[in-house]
Amino acid sequence: MSQTDMKRQLSDPASDATDSEDMEEDDEYANYYYDNTDDLDIDKPKKTDDPEYFEYTILQTEDAERLLNEEVERLCSELKMSPSLAKMLLHVGQWQGEDIIERYQQDQRKLLTESNVSCPKEMKEDSLVGSSPGCPVCAECYPRDKFMGLTCGHLFCPHCWDMHFRFQIEQGITMGIECMGQKCKILVPEDFLYSVLKDSKLRDRFSKLCFMDLIKGHPKLRFCPGPNCSVIIHAKEPRAKKVECSVCKSTFCFRCGIEYHAPTDCDVIKKWLTKCADDSETANYISAHTKDCPSCHVCIEKSAGCNHMQCSKCKFDFCWMCLGDWKSHGSEYYECSRYKENPNIANESVLVQAREALKKYLFYFERWENHAKSLQLEEQTLQKITSRINVKVMENEGTWIDWQYLQNAAALLKKCRYTLQYTYPYAYYMDKGGRKQLFEYQQAQLEAEVENLSWKVERAEITHRGDLENQMDIAEKRRQTLLKDFLEV
Amino acid sequence: MAGLPRRIIKETQRLQADPVPGISAIPDEANARHFKVEVAGPVKSPYEGGTFHLELFLPEEYPMSAPKVRFMTRIYHPNIDKLGRICLDILKDKWSPALQIRTVLLSIQALLSAPNPDDPLDTNVAEAWKKDEESAIEEARQFTRQHAMGNKPQQ
Repeated sequence: MSQTDMKRQLSDPASDATDSEDMEEDDEYANYYYDNTDDLDIDKPKKTDDPEYFEYTILQTEDAERLLNEEVERLCSELKMSPSLAKMLLHVGQWQGEDIIERYQQDQRKLLTESNVSCPKEMKEDSLVGSSPGCPVCAECYPRDKFMGLTCGHLFCPHCWDMHFRFQIEQGITMGIECMGQKCKILVPEDFLYSVLKDSKLRDRFSKLCFMDLIKGHPKLRFCPGPNCSVIIHAKEPRAKKVECSVCKSTFCFRCGIEYHAPTDCDVIKKWLTKCADDSETANYISAHTKDCPSCHVCIEKSAGCNHMQCSKCKFDFCWMCLGDWKSHGSEYYECSRYKENPNIANESVLVQAREALKKYLFYFERWENHAKSLQLEEQTLQKITSRINVKVMENEGTWIDWQYLQNAAALLKKCRYTLQYTYPYAYYMDKGGRKQLFEYQQAQLEAEVENLSWKVERAEITHRGDLENQMDIAEKRRQTLLKDFLEV
Repeated sequence: MAGLPRRIIKETQRLQADPVPGISAIPDEANARHFKVEVAGPVKSPYEGGTFHLELFLPEEYPMSAPKVRFMTRIYHPNIDKLGRICLDILKDKWSPALQIRTVLLSIQALLSAPNPDDPLDTNVAEAWKKDEESAIEEARQFTRQHAMGNKPQQ
C-alpha cells in the first residue's frame, strides 16, 4: 500500500471499510505508519507483535534520584506525611504507591504497624526512671529531656544513637536500621537519623548507601550490571526481558540482571548455569575417559588408544566408539557416535540411570557449549566482513550503504544463534510430552535455518543478496515463532 | 581498668553483686572485656549435673555489636558445634544494644533446656535428635558425664 493510498483511506475511512474489523485494521495501519516518524523503523515488526519488545529508559544517577523523589512527594502530598516517612513506606511496600495509599486510607494504623514504621499506642513504654536516669545502653546519666526515641518509646541518649547508626552504616545497613530496644523492629526514618548523626562523612556515606538500597528495592529500577557502569535502567514493567545499556553496551535480563536468556526463564537458567558450573568438570572427564561395559555395566576408563576393548570383569569384547559387539566390526567403523535415548530407563539399575542422566545432560550441554563457541567464531566472521566491506568501498565497488546488508545479516545471525543457544537449557528442563515435541520441532527448524544463514553469511561473496536477505527473513521468523509460543511474558 | 566504658563496669558489678542463679561470670584479671563463665546444666535437662565452661568476650563495639560467646566444654547439642560455637539469634542478627551479658547468658541457659533441632548448627546432632530424641538425649547425658563433671576450666 503506497503512502497516497493510505492518505486517501484516512481522509475517508468509512468509504472502504464495510465492518468494524476493517476499521480497526485501518486505524492500526494508520498508527503504524504515522507514529513512526523515522523511515527506517517501517521494516521493524510492530511493538505488540514482537515477543521480545520491552520498554525501558537509561537513567543517570540524578534522573533516578529525581524519579524516586517524585514518587516520595506524591505519597507525601496524598497522605500528608513527612518525606522521610513516605520514603520508608514506599521502600517497605516495594514502591506500590497506589496500594500504599489505599491501605493507608483503609486502616492507617495497621499499615504503619505492619510496615514497622510506627508502634501501636498500647505498646509504648517509657523505660526510664527518675529525673536524671541512666541510658539503658551506656548506663551514663543524663537529664530526662536529653533522651531520644521513636514511636515505640524506647529512649536512649544521643551518644548511643550516634554509635548505633555509625555501627549499622559501617555494616552497610541503611533503610533497615532498627530501634535499639530489645526485640524492637521499628525502623529508623532518615530525618531522625540525620537529627542525631553529625559526622558529614558518615552522612554522605549513609545517603549514598541509602540510594543504592532504594534502587535495589525498586521493582522497576535496576543498576546496570556492566563493569564500572553507573547508569540505572528504568523499565515500564518489571519483566524478564532484554535490556541493552546504551553506555557500556552490555546486554542482560532486566529481572535477574544476568545475561539475557529467552526463551528460558530466570529460575531455570540459574539452575542450568549452576549445574554447568558444578557438574561440567567431572562430567567432561567421565564422558571423555570412561564408559560402561555394554554387557555388565561396570564403569571402564580408557587408558590407551585402541578402540577394541575387552571388559576386565566379564571379558566382553566391544567397540569403544559404538559399544557394539566387536565381532560385527571389520576394519571399518560404522556411524558409531549417535545419542539414543534408552526407552526402558525406568527398569534399569541406578548405575545405568545415573549414566543415562549424565548422557542427557551432556547432550544438551554440548550443544549449548557448541553454540556459544559458534557465536565467538561468528564474531570473527563479522570482523572479517567489516574489513572486506572496507576494501570494497575503497576500491569503489559500491558504497557503505550497498554493503550494509552484509553486516545486518551477521548481526541477525548472532541474534538468532543466541536465542538458539538458550533453547537448550529450556529443553533440558522440559517435561516429556506434546509441548516438548513441539518445542523440539521448532528448535530444530530454527537450528536448520541458523546453520543455513551461517553458511550463506560465510560465503557472502558468492551468495546472491536476495537469497541472503530471504534466508535472514526465514531465520528471524523461526526465532519469532518459537519465542511467541514459548517465551513466557 | 582505664578506658572501660561505664556500661561494662556497671554490668560487671551487677553480675557479681546479684548473680543469675546457676551462672557465674568473672572478668579476666588481665582483660576486663574477657569473662570466664560457668553455666550449670539446667535441672530436668540431659545436661543436669554438669558444669559448662564458656568464654565471653566484649568486642570494641560492644554494646553496639553482640558479645562473642563460646563453649569451652564439649557438649552434645544441636545448636552448638564441636568447636563450641553457638547458634543463637540474639548473638547474631537479633542483637540489640539494650541486651546485656546477663540476658545473653540466660538465653544460653534456656537453649540448654530447650534445644532447637529445626535450626541446627551441628547437622549430625540435629538429625540424630529429630530421628530418635530419646537416644539423642541419652547421648547428651553421656557427653555431660564424660566432659562436664569434675572438670576444671580450660586455659
